[in-house]
Amino acid sequence: MKELFLVVHSLCTGFYTTLKHIFRGPATELYPEYKRPLPARSRARIILTVDPDGRERCVACYLCSAACPVDCISMQAAENPEGRRYAAWFRINFGRCIYCGLCEEACPTAAIQLTPSFEHADRDILKMVAEKEDLQVDHCGKDPNYNFYHHAGVADAIRPKGGHVNESPPVNVRTNMP
Amino acid sequence: MMPNLIIDNKKIRVAKGTRVIDAAESAGIYIPRFCYFAELGAVGACRVCAVKFIDGPVEGIRMSCMVEAEDGMVVATDDAEAVDFRRHVIEWMMMNHPHDCPVCDEGGHCLLQDLTVAGGHGIRRFAGKKRTYADQYLGPLISHEENRCIQCYRCSRFYQEYCGYTDLGVMGIAQRIYFGRYKDGVLENPFSGNLIDLCPTGVYTDKPSRYTGRRWDFERTTGVCTTCGLGCSIMVSARYRQVVRLEAAFSRAVNGAFICDRGRYGFSWVNSENRPRQGRVAAKAMAPQKAAAAAAGRLDSLAEQYGAGAIAVAGSGRSSLETLAAWMDLCRRRSWRGFFFDDLAAAPAAPAAVSGLSPENVVSMKAVESADMILAVGADPLGEAPMLALAMRQAWRAGAKVFAIDSRDLEWPFEFQQVVAEPHEIVDLLSGIEPENEIGGNAGKHAGKMAAIQDQIRHSRFPVILCGTAIVDQSTALAAAGLVKRLRKNKKDTRLFYTLPKANTFGGLLLDHRVQPPDELIHAMESGEIKALVAVESDLWQNCTDRDLLERALNGLEFLCAADCMATELVSRADIVIPVSSVYEAGGIYVNQEARAQWSAPAHAGGTPVRITGAGGHPPRVIGSAIPGGDMPGAWQAAWQIAGLAPPAGPGEMLEWMTKTYPVTAPVKTMAAQGVRIFPLQ
Repeated sequence: MKELFLVVHSLCTGFYTTLKHIFRGPATELYPEYKRPLPARSRARIILTVDPDGRERCVACYLCSAACPVDCISMQAAENPEGRRYAAWFRINFGRCIYCGLCEEACPTAAIQLTPSFEHADRDILKMVAEKEDLQVDHCGKDPNYNFYHHAGVADAIRPKGGHVNESPPVNVRTNMP
Repeated sequence: MMPNLIIDNKKIRVAKGTRVIDAAESAGIYIPRFCYFAELGAVGACRVCAVKFIDGPVEGIRMSCMVEAEDGMVVATDDAEAVDFRRHVIEWMMMNHPHDCPVCDEGGHCLLQDLTVAGGHGIRRFAGKKRTYADQYLGPLISHEENRCIQCYRCSRFYQEYCGYTDLGVMGIAQRIYFGRYKDGVLENPFSGNLIDLCPTGVYTDKPSRYTGRRWDFERTTGVCTTCGLGCSIMVSARYRQVVRLEAAFSRAVNGAFICDRGRYGFSWVNSENRPRQGRVAAKAMAPQKAAAAAAGRLDSLAEQYGAGAIAVAGSGRSSLETLAAWMDLCRRRSWRGFFFDDLAAAPAAPAAVSGLSPENVVSMKAVESADMILAVGADPLGEAPMLALAMRQAWRAGAKVFAIDSRDLEWPFEFQQVVAEPHEIVDLLSGIEPENEIGGNAGKHAGKMAAIQDQIRHSRFPVILCGTAIVDQSTALAAAGLVKRLRKNKKDTRLFYTLPKANTFGGLLLDHRVQPPDELIHAMESGEIKALVAVESDLWQNCTDRDLLERALNGLEFLCAADCMATELVSRADIVIPVSSVYEAGGIYVNQEARAQWSAPAHAGGTPVRITGAGGHPPRVIGSAIPGGDMPGAWQAAWQIAGLAPPAGPGEMLEWMTKTYPVTAPVKTMAAQGVRIFPLQ
C-alpha cells in the first residue's frame, strides 16, 4: 500500500515539474542577439589601464610575464622622458592566453586588468597578437584610485625625493645635529 | 687542531679560524646574511645571520659571522628565538625601504627581497614616515638609489679596504648614514662595477643595462672574459639575442669573486648595430656561406695566378683556440705564406712568456694574493691586467712588499718602491740579482735600490716575479724566467707571472711558437709578395703604430677578406666580409697567461638582436621559427667554408679534430670547471 503511494507520488511530482515548465519562458539567451551584461570581475580580454592622473600605469616590471603560465606576455622596459620606467613595447599573444588572471594578480601597479570583453576570436593567428597600442585604454579599469608613483619613493620629473606619500624630506648628511 | 662542532644536528669539522657562518655553509646549511662576504671579512653590521648557540664556549643568540668555530659548539640555525630575532631584523630594515621593487633593477636577484619574503614580512606595521636620501651621479656605469640602503657597509669596505680608493665611503651618523661620494662625480675606482654585484639590494645598479630585464628572463652562463690575458670568470646574461650585462663569476683559481670594469663593460661591440651581420661581396649583401664560397673562389684563382705563397692570414688572440687552430692548419695545408699573429705587435715579449713558464714556476692570480714579496718588471697591472693589481693589493694588505722596475709613471692602489729604469736596462738589473752573493755589478746607479730588492727576496718565503710583455723585449722576459730559475735552484719557492694582452695570446703561441709578427706581414704586403690577406678577427689596424705604411700595404693588396664579429677598420675595407659569431654565441676555449685553458660557454644562439629587428619597438609581426641573422658561422667553421669542406659537425667533433691535429691541446679534453693548464710539448 505504502509503495503504491510512493510510486503515484513521484509520478505526479515528475509530471507537475514538466507541466510547470511548459508555461515558462525559455532560459536560453539568444546570443549574439542578446548580450548579457557580465560582472566586472569576469575574465576575458586584457587591457593596460592608466592611473588617476591619466599616465600609463604599466612600469614594465616583468611580473605579469613571469606569472603567466603560458608565456603569452612579452615586453621591453625603458625609461621615458619623465624619468619613469615604462614599456617600450608590450605584447600579449591572445592565441595562447588562457585568461587565468594571474597577470592581474601579479601586477603591482594595477595596470594590467582582465575585462569582460571576450569576443575576439579570429581565423588569422596574427590578429590574436595584441601590441601595446591595442591593449591601452584611457581609464583606470577596476581600480579607480591607485597610483603607484605616489608611493614608489623614486624621484622622477613629477615627484622629487621625499615628495611621496608618508615620506620625510631627504636627510642632510652633512649636519652634525643629533 | 681542527674544531668539531654541531650545527643543526650535523657534526662538522672545519679548519681553525673558520667562522660559524662558513662552517655551516660547508655543510650545506645557508645562514642568511647581508653584510658578510668572505672576501671582505665580517663586521657584524646587519644582524641577520643571528643563530642560537645552545652549548659550548658561548651561549645564546650570536652573530654567526662574528664567532669562530670552536670545539664543542652546538648551534641551531632554526631555533625559534633565532628565527624570531632575524624576522625582526628584516622588519626593521624594511621600515625605511621604498616601495619601488617594480621599478628597481635589482628585483629578481635581490638578497633583501629574498630574505624579506623568507622572513615572512609583508605589511609595514610602523606608521611613521619613511627616511629618504638624495641620490648622486656616480658616472655612466652605475646608478645610485640610496633610499634602498640597509647599511651593510659592503660597498665602503670593498671600495676603501679591498681596492684602496677613497672617493666613495660612508658619511653621517645614526639615521643619516649615507653611502656615496662627497659630491657627484665619476667613481675613480676601476673595479667599481663590483659594487653592483656586492650590494645586497638595489642601491648600486648597472646603468648601461638599466631596465633591460629581470634575471629570471636572462639566458645566463659562465664565460671567460676576453678583455685581457687573465681569463677571469664572468657570468654572461643575454636576452632577446643580445648580451645584457657581464658580472663576476666565482673562480677559485683566477679572479675570486670580482672582475674589473674593463671586463664588465667592454662588450658593447657585440650588440652594436655596426657589427657585421651579413656577408658582403664587393658592396653586395649576401648570406655568410655564399660570401665564404666567393672568397674561396677568389683565393683559389689568386693561388693559381701568384702561387700559394702570395696568400696570408692575420689573426689575433681574441679568437678562440678552436679558431686559431682551424686557420693555422688551413694555412699549413694550403701552403699559404703563413699565420701572422697581431698580438706580437702589442706584446713583443709574448713568445718568451710562453717558453718561460713551466709547471714548476707558474702561479695562479689568486695565489699571487699569498705572495710576501712581488717584483714587477716592465709591467703595469692596472693598465694591462687590472685584476692583477687587485690581487697584488691583497698581498700588500697581508704584509707583502712590492717593488717595480719600470720607466713609466706608475700609479697603483698600494705602496710600492720603484726603480726607474728604461726597458733595455732591465735585463742587466735582473741578471744582477743573486740569491746568495752580493748584488751583481751591472746595477750601476740603481745599486742601492736593487740591493734592497735582493735583500727582500732573500728574506721572503714566497716571492713572485711579475713580468710585462708590452714595453720589454724577449730577452727581458727570459731574464725574468732566468731569475726565477736561479732562485728556485736555491730552494726558494719563487713564482713567475707574465701579463699578456689578449685572452688567447698564450693559446696562439702554444699552437705554433713560430707564428710571425705583423711587421713582417705589413712589409711583405707593401713589397707585393703578399697579394691576398684573410683577416680573421684581426686587430692589425688597432695594433699598428705606422698607419701610413699599413695604408700603403693594404692598398697594394689585390684581395682582402675579413672574417670578424667586430666592425674593425679591416672589415670596412674588405672586398669580402664573412660575419662570424662572437664568443658569447659560439663559445670557445681560451688559454690565459698562466697556461690555464678555460671553456667559455655560449650564452645564446646568436642572431640579430630584437632591438635591431624591431627598430626599438615591438618585434616584427611575422611567424616563423628561423632566427633572423642566425646563420653566422663560428670563426673556426669559416676556415672550412673557405676550404670548401664541411666543418666538424659540432663543438665536440671540433675538439676531437683539434686535439688530434694539435696534440699540445690534448689536456683540454679533461678540462674541469677550473680549467686545465697546458704547457708547450717539450
